[in-house]
Amino acid sequence: MQTAKRDIAVSMTGISKRFGPVRALEDANLEIARGSILGLVGQNGAGKSTIIKVLAGIIKPDSGSIVINGETVASLTPASVEKLGVHFIHQDRLLVPTATVGEAVFLGHEIGLGPFVSRRAMERKAAELLKRFFGMELPAGTLVKDLTTAQQKVVQITRALAQKASVLVLDEPTAALVKREVDSLFEVLRRLRDDGIAVVFISHYMQEIEKLCDRVTVMRNGTDVGTVDPRQTPIDGIIAMMIARDVGEMFPKRAVTLGAPVLEVGNLRLGGSFENIGFNVRAGEIVGLTGLLGSGAKEIVQCLFGLKTAEGGQVKVEGRQLSLSTPVKAVRDGIAMLPEDRRAHGVALGLSVRENISLASLRRYSRTGMVSRSSENQAVDGLIKELSIKTPHRDALVRELSGGNQQKVAIAKWLSCQSRVYVLDEPTVAVDVGAKVEIYNLLNRLAGEGAAILLLSSDLLELVGVCDRVLVVYRGRLAGSFSGPSMNSDALLAASSGARSNADGVAA
Amino acid sequence: MSVSANDSAKVSVRGFLAKYSVLIAFAAIVIFFAIASPTFLTPANLFNVLVNNVVMLAIVALGLTIVISSGGIDLSVGVSVDMASMIFVMLLAAGYSGVVGVAGGLGAALIVGILNAILITRLNISPFLATLGVLFIGQSTQQLATSGGQPIYLTSGYAADQFNAIARTALLGIPTPVVVLIVLAVAVHLLLHRSVFGRYVQAMGAQPGVAWYSGIRVPRELSMVHVLCALLAGVTGILLSATVKSYVPLSGNAFLLDAIGATFIGTTLSHERKPSVIGTLLGVLLLAIVKNGLLLVGWNFYWQQVGIGVLVFLVLAASFGLRRAAH
Repeated sequence: MQTAKRDIAVSMTGISKRFGPVRALEDANLEIARGSILGLVGQNGAGKSTIIKVLAGIIKPDSGSIVINGETVASLTPASVEKLGVHFIHQDRLLVPTATVGEAVFLGHEIGLGPFVSRRAMERKAAELLKRFFGMELPAGTLVKDLTTAQQKVVQITRALAQKASVLVLDEPTAALVKREVDSLFEVLRRLRDDGIAVVFISHYMQEIEKLCDRVTVMRNGTDVGTVDPRQTPIDGIIAMMIARDVGEMFPKRAVTLGAPVLEVGNLRLGGSFENIGFNVRAGEIVGLTGLLGSGAKEIVQCLFGLKTAEGGQVKVEGRQLSLSTPVKAVRDGIAMLPEDRRAHGVALGLSVRENISLASLRRYSRTGMVSRSSENQAVDGLIKELSIKTPHRDALVRELSGGNQQKVAIAKWLSCQSRVYVLDEPTVAVDVGAKVEIYNLLNRLAGEGAAILLLSSDLLELVGVCDRVLVVYRGRLAGSFSGPSMNSDALLAASSGARSNADGVAA
Repeated sequence: MSVSANDSAKVSVRGFLAKYSVLIAFAAIVIFFAIASPTFLTPANLFNVLVNNVVMLAIVALGLTIVISSGGIDLSVGVSVDMASMIFVMLLAAGYSGVVGVAGGLGAALIVGILNAILITRLNISPFLATLGVLFIGQSTQQLATSGGQPIYLTSGYAADQFNAIARTALLGIPTPVVVLIVLAVAVHLLLHRSVFGRYVQAMGAQPGVAWYSGIRVPRELSMVHVLCALLAGVTGILLSATVKSYVPLSGNAFLLDAIGATFIGTTLSHERKPSVIGTLLGVLLLAIVKNGLLLVGWNFYWQQVGIGVLVFLVLAASFGLRRAAH
């Protein structure tokens, strides 16, 4: 490592930490330089959040040394680390929703006289800071809950800066942001870097890492396996370091002979969202669907599952005309849905793996309204094994599983139903690379068994890697259908943004 | 997060205490009253506790257990008790047979349940507010129907006497009302913990969005939940009238808070704080024994309420606090 000339703000060396028999960190190193943005990547469980928690003083390491601003620190607490100028922006927003911007910026460091706080002074000062750091004209009397997620992130960063942060660690800061907000957040982070602040950026999104970071430290199995310059090492190379295998394996290819059309959509229309949508998905086929936010792609998927009621057009499954007015009917007609918001709609965290998997198909395991535990257990155990869901036992709560395994439980629910059509809405969001590969394998297997799969995704790499054909929606209409060599992320991006259309030509 | 072996032993002791805090409290209270009052453990007293303090409250609490499992609440159970009681007594007083009386009483409770179901599933009013509204309406209705709240007594009449007699008989040595409770408890247990319907109820309680996205007919199942709760409360209304041979307006409300308290005491048995039939029955027994014991040792009615309040705090705090420490 070229430590010599660079200005090091934080240096963690030889950090190890065990939790009982589990080695969370094994001789891990992390070096954070001033005036630079460091990406920190790795699969879930690779140790990136543990090492960050060590730095934050939340977890005590078993061994290793930490040097902050040239001083070796023996033990850290969350309070002492903040005093040293190291601040953390956690993934879940930790702002009081009913506080004003001014109050949020100075939370814990209120300005005022004795026991009285001066809200006006805090608001004035906060507005000043927002203007100075970000050129942002945000009325500091605004309530936090009225801000966009991106603005809340900015307020959190401002809070750190108000306390003279020299190191800023952001954990998955873009997870809840839309594209435009991500861009403006990046703008802010670059400006901070140019002011000499050390920024650590943790993300699952490789394109963001590539775009933003000066250096990337990759973690795997509790240790750092390398630090690279993302402008020189392509994304594939970084992913290969994370999963310790070739990226070609990430999108496993398959040879499937397509069968008859299973899902037939004709002239579907929903006022204000989309119109004249028609396409087929054949047995064994994986069809991608993509479009920018507001393009109508999402609403098409919602109509197919009866979450919204289409105003016109027809949907057929295996030749039967469906009346899709509620999810109840969609499920009965053999349509399975993997919703984007897994925690709200996909799996019930407070129920067991068993209860989640059998939820949509209980009738199959029951007689005269009573559930037969033996046939349920048998089916659930089979699916846990089949999908290699990592769970201690079938009665463990889904809450205790990792994101990828939760997603597999959500898929298992529909396998248990023997659905014919699978509609997936961003199935790999917030899922680590290893679990993504397993989900892709699963989609391939489902397709291999003759299911029709419609994959709504905004991850263009994923669409190109997994789908046989990708449909692009632009302003409520099908703007193109891409397959074979014409199906590449440049073409998809161009069609989504309206720059180009109709690679294969759309039937309608 | 794992811990060393020594710690985990401590943790499991705490976990055990947290899990069984109700049972431990139960045992401690029984021992305390057994020492404090010579009459407490006599068969006559225990019979009295069971028949007069446990059965009717427990049946209402069974209904609330279903509703609370579904993620809702029913504040109008007292109204269901009263309506069933009122119609039952009115029909018997008018000379109708017992069968007609029971059918009428349950029918009245059914109407309350259906009203709740419509407000919640059709008009999308939250269960708390919908049933609160029904509570107000139900109370006024009773006062209007009884010229400001006059009780109706069943002085004579064949059917009334017959019912009162049944309430005092025993089947195989078990008092009839207790038999009714056992049958209903087993039925609700099977329904909630073994049936498809019960699974749907648990899913709606855990995460309503997931239930909807899994193709469950949420409005229909939720309607069933509220109707069942009202019907169970109606059974209590009929038992109440049969026991006291009268209908006293607004007497059903006494069950509401005790039943909610018992159900939540029962949730401490489950790691996920889910209501269960067994937990609820234990909660009811605990409340009934404390009330009876305090009475026997000479506390007056108002101090009994204080005692119960303190008990609920202690059991819940012990369970929550120890469980947090166990993590």
